[in-house]
Amino acid sequence: MTAPSTRRIPVYCYQCVAGPDLLKVEVKNDVAVRIAPNFDICNEHPGGGRVCVKAYGLIQKTYNPHRIAGPMRRTNPLKGRAHDPGFVRISWEEALDTIAAKLREIRAKGVIDEQGYPRVAASFGGGGTPTQYMGTLPAFLSAWGPVDMGFGSGQGVKCYHSEHLYGELWHRAFIVSPDTPRCRYVISCGTNTDASGGVAGVWRHADARARGIKRVQVEPHLSIAGAMAGEWVPIRPKTDAAFLYALIHRILHERDWREACDVPFLAHDTNAPYLVGPNGYFLRDPATRKPLVLDPADGTAKPFDAGAREPALEGVHKAAGVEVGPDDQVWTHAAAVDAKPAFQALRDHIARYTPDWAAAQCDIPAATIRRIADEFLAHACVGQTVEIGGRTMPFRPVAVILGKTVNNGWGGYQAVWARTVLACLVGALEVPGGLLGTNVKINRPAGDRLKSVQPGPDGFMHYPFNETTRDGWQAKPHIRNAYRTLVPLAGHSPWSAALGPAHLPWLFQRKPPERWPAPSKPELWFVYRTNPAISSWEAPEVARRIAEFPFVVAFAYTRDETNHMADILLPEATDLESLQLMQIGGTKFIEQFWAHHGWAVRQPTGKPPVDCRDMTEIATALAERTGLLAAYNEAINRGAAGVKLKGADYDYSLDPSGAHGSEAIWNRVALAASHELSHGEEVHGIDWFRENGFMLRPFPETDWYLYPTLKERGLRFEIPYQERIKRHGTQLAARLHEIGVAWWDKQLGEYEPLPHYHAFPDIYVGYARSVGRDPDEFPFWALTARSMQYAWGSNAGLPIINEVALNVAGHKGVIINRSTARRLGIGEGDPVRIESVAGATEGRAVLREGVRPDTIVMIGQFDHWATPFAKDLGLASLNSVAPMALSLTDATGSGADLVRVKLGPAPGARSAA
Amino acid sequence: MSAFDGQARQAPAAGLPPRWGMVVDLNRCIGCQTCTIACKHANDTPPGMQWRQVLDVELGEFPDVQRLFLVTGCQHCDDPPCVPVCPTGATYRRADGIVAIDHDRCIGCGSCAVACPYQARHIAHDRKRYFGELDTLQERAVARPERIGVAQKCTFCVGKIDATLKHGMTPGKDLHATPVCAAACITQALRFGDFNDPDSDVARLVRENDSFVLNEAQGTRPMIRYLYQTPAIPGGGPDLAAMDDDRMRDPGNPLVGKLQQRWDLRAAMNFTLGGAGAGLAVATWLAQTALDLPASVARFHYPFAAAIIAAGLLSVFFEIGRKRRFLHALRRPQTSWMSREIYAVGLLYLLVAANLWQPRPTLAPLIAASAAAFLYCQARILHAGKGIPAWRAPLIPWMLLASGLFEGFGALLAVLFVTGQAVPATEASPLVLLLAALNGWLWRDYRADAEAGGIGPLARDRIDAATPWLHAVGHAVPVLLALAALAAPAGAAAPLLAVAGVAACAGGAVWKIVVVTRAAHFQNLDLPRLPRRGSGTRSAFAAGAEYIEGSP
Repeated sequence: MTAPSTRRIPVYCYQCVAGPDLLKVEVKNDVAVRIAPNFDICNEHPGGGRVCVKAYGLIQKTYNPHRIAGPMRRTNPLKGRAHDPGFVRISWEEALDTIAAKLREIRAKGVIDEQGYPRVAASFGGGGTPTQYMGTLPAFLSAWGPVDMGFGSGQGVKCYHSEHLYGELWHRAFIVSPDTPRCRYVISCGTNTDASGGVAGVWRHADARARGIKRVQVEPHLSIAGAMAGEWVPIRPKTDAAFLYALIHRILHERDWREACDVPFLAHDTNAPYLVGPNGYFLRDPATRKPLVLDPADGTAKPFDAGAREPALEGVHKAAGVEVGPDDQVWTHAAAVDAKPAFQALRDHIARYTPDWAAAQCDIPAATIRRIADEFLAHACVGQTVEIGGRTMPFRPVAVILGKTVNNGWGGYQAVWARTVLACLVGALEVPGGLLGTNVKINRPAGDRLKSVQPGPDGFMHYPFNETTRDGWQAKPHIRNAYRTLVPLAGHSPWSAALGPAHLPWLFQRKPPERWPAPSKPELWFVYRTNPAISSWEAPEVARRIAEFPFVVAFAYTRDETNHMADILLPEATDLESLQLMQIGGTKFIEQFWAHHGWAVRQPTGKPPVDCRDMTEIATALAERTGLLAAYNEAINRGAAGVKLKGADYDYSLDPSGAHGSEAIWNRVALAASHELSHGEEVHGIDWFRENGFMLRPFPETDWYLYPTLKERGLRFEIPYQERIKRHGTQLAARLHEIGVAWWDKQLGEYEPLPHYHAFPDIYVGYARSVGRDPDEFPFWALTARSMQYAWGSNAGLPIINEVALNVAGHKGVIINRSTARRLGIGEGDPVRIESVAGATEGRAVLREGVRPDTIVMIGQFDHWATPFAKDLGLASLNSVAPMALSLTDATGSGADLVRVKLGPAPGARSAA
Repeated sequence: MSAFDGQARQAPAAGLPPRWGMVVDLNRCIGCQTCTIACKHANDTPPGMQWRQVLDVELGEFPDVQRLFLVTGCQHCDDPPCVPVCPTGATYRRADGIVAIDHDRCIGCGSCAVACPYQARHIAHDRKRYFGELDTLQERAVARPERIGVAQKCTFCVGKIDATLKHGMTPGKDLHATPVCAAACITQALRFGDFNDPDSDVARLVRENDSFVLNEAQGTRPMIRYLYQTPAIPGGGPDLAAMDDDRMRDPGNPLVGKLQQRWDLRAAMNFTLGGAGAGLAVATWLAQTALDLPASVARFHYPFAAAIIAAGLLSVFFEIGRKRRFLHALRRPQTSWMSREIYAVGLLYLLVAANLWQPRPTLAPLIAASAAAFLYCQARILHAGKGIPAWRAPLIPWMLLASGLFEGFGALLAVLFVTGQAVPATEASPLVLLLAALNGWLWRDYRADAEAGGIGPLARDRIDAATPWLHAVGHAVPVLLALAALAAPAGAAAPLLAVAGVAACAGGAVWKIVVVTRAAHFQNLDLPRLPRRGSGTRSAFAAGAEYIEGSP
């Protein structure tokens, strides 16, 4: 007998947006047996080369006996939860031929349907993570042409939506992060960093804690991150903006702001000195149309870039000029009118939001609010500098970070605006120690956020707003979620479809609003690494809409609630079974701040236990069968696999006419990637990557910060005053009213230059009334929270993940305050029923003290009914009770994971005790 | 001698042999379970078994609450209570301090598991699969049949340490040489190293920071130390004492010791039958000596006593994980009361057989002595379950001895009645009264001392619930019947005494079953110090909190 051959094969894990992390798979006799971190990269990876708990589920994922064994075809034409699909095994040839025939049929009719929508739609999981597993499928979609990628699977309600959009506008920050290694004081409104920050994030935060960082966690329940913070402030749900406004009030009205704030930063790096005219638009120089500032040196108003050394931030000044309003409306103020700097407008605006006012809103003592504001100032180090990479930069080690449900849905705009204003008050935006962005998804180029800093109007960065002018506005949506029509901030990048109101297609499919056509159903829907029938808000409703789709092609790992409605199941080679190269390093998503960048490989580690295929092979086969091979190959050559195969000094292009195998394609990608990275000095094929796992080059740490680039380009941050937002909002209102659409009016009210606080909780409380129910029936807030163990990875069907997750409170059921439970006669482990106006869900009670008495928490996303193993867990899910409604949709098209519910013992259930 | 024999903050003397251990930083650990699952991968542990576990602990009441994550597992104690109790020598402490298990020697008796105050030892009696009956390729490839039915626990990845030391690597510094939980930890909350090496991370961390150990009062001197402060987070606690009984009864509270599952009714029957049988042998000899019980009668009592003991041993035999290896239990008489118990019972059987084959007056006292020794071993076996406060209570050995004598005497009265013999009530009843009083008094004191002795409310509830029954059946009935026997006519005394004897045996069974199987909750996890963080009064930053300025 020979000794078993053992190999350790390097791959990456990018199951969640907080990746990638690199690991090695121990393989014995072609069977993957164990996972371990890839310590080869421990010095370069910002998380010490480690991988998180999820990566260790990959082996069980590979050998899950519930995997789809081979391609399947539906035999039952009836679709829906109650109908057994009657899947039968078919060959890969039959499966691919069937799909290709459907695609050719569609192509023959035209890729756009009679309503102007793409006939083919595709939905992928959140955060773009599926891209790191789908091989060259993007090249096939690119070759195909218009595809509706706007059917959400929870986007908007499950993401940092307002942060994404406004973050990109203000500081190229699709994701916002503290500069954790240097930060000293963090106010975290519901950011569960220690569950959602990925390995790099939690590693950096742990180091920061050991060093002495102070974190105040403001949230209704004591999350993982809250547990690790020095202080937990149990705020009333959805009142975070009020809390943040009161912090600003404290600084601007109760403290000596000139002493406490970074006045030069405000004056020269923001629009704080820009004069605002009587109509709420910047007062501009009539000739150049440049915004004016008041120069106290000579008492005159002059263009912002005309050299005023200390432009006025306060007061009301007399100045002449013009205001440019919506649709080029111009107010000419030939005679001097009252104008005040944006900063004065901010002070006036915030005057009403006192700590005492906020105390009543937020259920936080005013003294606590004042103390936190004072500590924020005390740690801001205004005036200090630090040298990084030979460069002297401001040092402002304070940050305010926001979590999901705070930075999306109603109040999201207010919250992200307030926290960005707080950063600006002390000059802590995009400087060492302060508040940083990590990446861009709307601005271009996607790979380099510093290069996306291009001059725009008024001294600000350019931003790719969707047009709202009469001529430019896209009155007829090009995809079913209408992001270009309804959300100027969503831009028009490949990501924008997912950043629009991605729930609207489902909502409108049920009942279109007035003067809006019922959206056609896509004739073919691809679904990959996502499960909207579980993950959407009002998931059961989405499941019903999916059942109406005529032809669904699901890349399927196991059976699940979405592919229950599929016509064809294609078992793709999963994480440890397929080949792909991906970019790593630089600055990325949550807290991926690297001092290196480069490429890493994912590769097959053993023989797959089922008849699955690599996504690249599937994409090539589809391209070949649909006659799109040339366009497909050209798309790869243009960079659809992550890098252009032809550059200035290299050409590894694929022959457009050939059907290339996965190995051949990724070999070309490897050659081009290594060539580009090393400027031709170290060129490697895919075999080298398979052996070595990754290739890196240094990435300057100074590139973590946007501020130096802004200074170099002579630009400033577009904050605090939102003139462009106001203008777009007014124009959009006009456009929509012109075509008779009034159902978006509430959203249009959000386009304020200085956003007002509204009683946001009332929106959620009052929703019951709008559907004919009494709000008093639903006295509790229901929230959700991140599970590091389950999030993103399709892990709900993995028993080993369940086993370890059960060690973390809340994974057994619904978190309820112990006193509340006692009052309701609910004991630990008792079955409970949670009911909202939209639906009901059941689980078991988990009694805790670390949750407000008026709040319950359902961690993760469960309530499965088809996914093997997961369907037997009996876990409740917020998605089953969260209503999907226009009135709960904010102007950016997002909602919040927040529902008013009633809570009680499950009927007919016996107490666990 | 190790670095921990003195103050933790003291620098270790150079030149000492390695003393491997860990430092866990409570302000780093986020309870992510990566260490747990990494350990499961590296050590191929079966479903549900976690050598490295991280508990999600909540303290206080809303709005003054805090939450922390507590890494637990084998503490590789300097004075490990699991080692001396092991009857086979399978569990041993290496020169470098690692507490290891020889799985080929272990019989799975569970003595070590109940001796551990950290609930760190596990036994899987059969092979479990993650997907029920469905086996996976990987599970087949990593199955560890040698670990079925034996004790297992964290080894500090000892194989890795031994292998890598040979290659000149330094565990704790070289990740490939470090236990996987520490090497995989994504917050560097777990550090491993040599406490005797002043340059190791662990030595430096405990030198530079205040630290504590879990359950210090148990005197095990664990080799995992916990850090709890940062420049921004001051220390607080202790807190456990402040937890009211309600929270300590809360099954969701991970600090509360779970009910032990290793020794069930089968083990309890060994204590019950063993006590009664050994007591019968002793009582018979006493009756021979003091009450003139004829040797010809007594001769047959001894094999009967031995049979009762055998039934108990057979019962517990069915509980051990590796039955064919049961003779391994003879290998540790130096320290193990279980080994000694087997030697004692072996001697007893030899003597009983000899006495049966060729009765000699000198044999009876030897039989009684070996039975008493057996009974004493049993008393010490239960008392050596240091992980179970209800067992390690100082009165437990006395209770088992006194109960054994009472049950034995009771059994004797019953046997005599059945065999048509009789002891006069004037001689028997005072003994019944005396033994009933003694047992009743011991139980009363045991119960009174329970809380002070660290027996938690869950166990106390069960002790309390059993008390009326025990007093009624085990003490009051024998007393009343003994008194009645004194007053009864000569012919009626014997059955009354026999019933009193049966009641005494029943009483013994009641309390032993309750103590062994129902009130046998593990030691709570005692945190003497805490990071001061949380809401309200627990906040690190709220007014009144000790405030240390952080300086990165």
